Amino acid sequence: MSAIAPKFRFSYFLKSILDNVFWIVTLFTLIGIPLVMILLFYIELPVINGKKLLDPYLALTTLADPSRQIPMLKSIIHSDFFRITAFPGFGFAALLAAATIFIERKMLAKLQLRVGPFYCGKVEGILQLMGDGLKLISKEIIIPAKADKPIFWAAPVLFVATAAAFVSLIPVASGGWVVADVDVGLLAVFAVIGFFPVITVLSAWSANSKYPFIGGLRALHQMVSFEIPLILSVLGIVILTGTLNLTEIVQSQDTYWWIVFLPIGAIVFFIAILAELERIPFDLPEAESEIVAGWLTEFSGMMYGLVQLGSYVKLYAFAALFVVLFLGGWHGPMVWPPFPEEIITNGITMGPITVHLPGLPLFDQQMLNDVLWFVIKTMGVIFVILLPRGVFPRIRIDLLLHIGWYKLIGLSFVNIFIALGLLYAGVLGPGGIL
Amino acid sequence: MADSVFLAISVLTIGSAIAALEVRSLIYGSISLMGTLGGIAGYFLLLDSPFVAMFQIAVYIGSIAVLILFTVMLVRRQLIFTKVEDPRRRYAGIGLMLIMMVALGAIILSSGIKTIQTDAPPIDFRTIGADFLTYYWPALILMALILASSVVGALTLARREDMEDDQRTN
Repeated sequence: MSAIAPKFRFSYFLKSILDNVFWIVTLFTLIGIPLVMILLFYIELPVINGKKLLDPYLALTTLADPSRQIPMLKSIIHSDFFRITAFPGFGFAALLAAATIFIERKMLAKLQLRVGPFYCGKVEGILQLMGDGLKLISKEIIIPAKADKPIFWAAPVLFVATAAAFVSLIPVASGGWVVADVDVGLLAVFAVIGFFPVITVLSAWSANSKYPFIGGLRALHQMVSFEIPLILSVLGIVILTGTLNLTEIVQSQDTYWWIVFLPIGAIVFFIAILAELERIPFDLPEAESEIVAGWLTEFSGMMYGLVQLGSYVKLYAFAALFVVLFLGGWHGPMVWPPFPEEIITNGITMGPITVHLPGLPLFDQQMLNDVLWFVIKTMGVIFVILLPRGVFPRIRIDLLLHIGWYKLIGLSFVNIFIALGLLYAGVLGPGGIL
Repeated sequence: MADSVFLAISVLTIGSAIAALEVRSLIYGSISLMGTLGGIAGYFLLLDSPFVAMFQIAVYIGSIAVLILFTVMLVRRQLIFTKVEDPRRRYAGIGLMLIMMVALGAIILSSGIKTIQTDAPPIDFRTIGADFLTYYWPALILMALILASSVVGALTLARREDMEDDQRTN
């Protein structure tokens, strides 16, 4: 019997869970299923092969018939909702962000000869992240007494929303696997990035506390000054490809990656990414040894969790942008095995039963291969972004601004001149040799 | 659809412009100013020119509004602002604004805007770029020189003379 909850009995716990399950099943049977049946008569569903996708009269047989489920799954996968929430959009990014947090903690521990998360989930602390998430959700949200409440509440949500908007512009695989395939994608990325300093400094101001305000001002200096080399360093690619669409930029790297021809631009872009993401060695806005936690100091509970989620989603988005711009996006050799033909032609045979599944495969081989290469490259870039945290100390703010304003801007102009030289020499670009 | 979006953007733009002038809190005023600038970006999106809209967001919200916000945060309001309540000035301001709007409207209406085909395809930004490099190249050179000189001037101003050489970071 624990000291925290003295009345706790495992049997009571089981009883309460079974009680809830009983009521959920009862209510779903009495209200849920009739409601779904009624709704199905009113929803316009797509017609496939002359049949409605989900016939209301056959709604329950669908549960037992895989040949009816696969078209439904496919239509869900190709809907905008799925794109925005799950695959190339927020869910995918959040999953990679969660993996990033775990990898960061373990890798940092190994670099510093520690163990890192170890006990949660038996195997190398694999459930630590879930535990942290549960803790953050269950904690109380404390708001400072003199805080500006509307802005303070809105800031974490806006931060996550801006990061999600950034993610929605990143193409993940060929064949239009991108949420928003806009003609001016690269400019849209920079327009979205411009919101981060606003949100940061507003949340820092609204907490009405010294440490967040100092952190917010530092974040503002850092982000605004590093946006300039960030934009200038990718101009070389825009000059050589003649487009701002991210999908077309990836398609232009079919044979060679831009990092081969524009290494200076890639280095400048990478350093600017580190500064925009507030990663060590540029983590002055949340310098924990000087100003508690910087602009995150007053956040508690799930508000802090949201800001962390947003910053790791932003980390994924910047790494993916680096892959898209410099590392050839999804291009790579075909390593994904083809879908077995006999499942399509003969079906799956299990003893006396043979199941025919028309409509398979759900994803074609090319798309899966693209996603595999994209994820491998993105995780590689994320790894390189995480690595300095175990190696470098934090630099001073005057050094930071000096690097940003003098060296990186100069180097990005050098990069632009290299790109112009390649263009006018007739090596690359429209009508070039390569 | 487009009409309702246009109405919504208009309400957002004009409403937040009024709020930017009238709200007592300077921070909320600058947030409303961001709303106004974002609404103008929305107009550009409705007019099929996402290129200009993205630059509007990136430059006006991402840079200029941030600078205003930054300045406002470092200002102690009660010291430098003494509120002058003068109805005559207010009415004069409103009258001036009305005169300006009527004059601008007359100029725009007489500029042949009524003969524009509304279903014409949007102009590609590549065309604008090509025009800049061919027909309008003197304007481009002039803009480039002005911007370059202002960047050089900013770097010169930012260089601190009171710092010793061994203190200078390198």
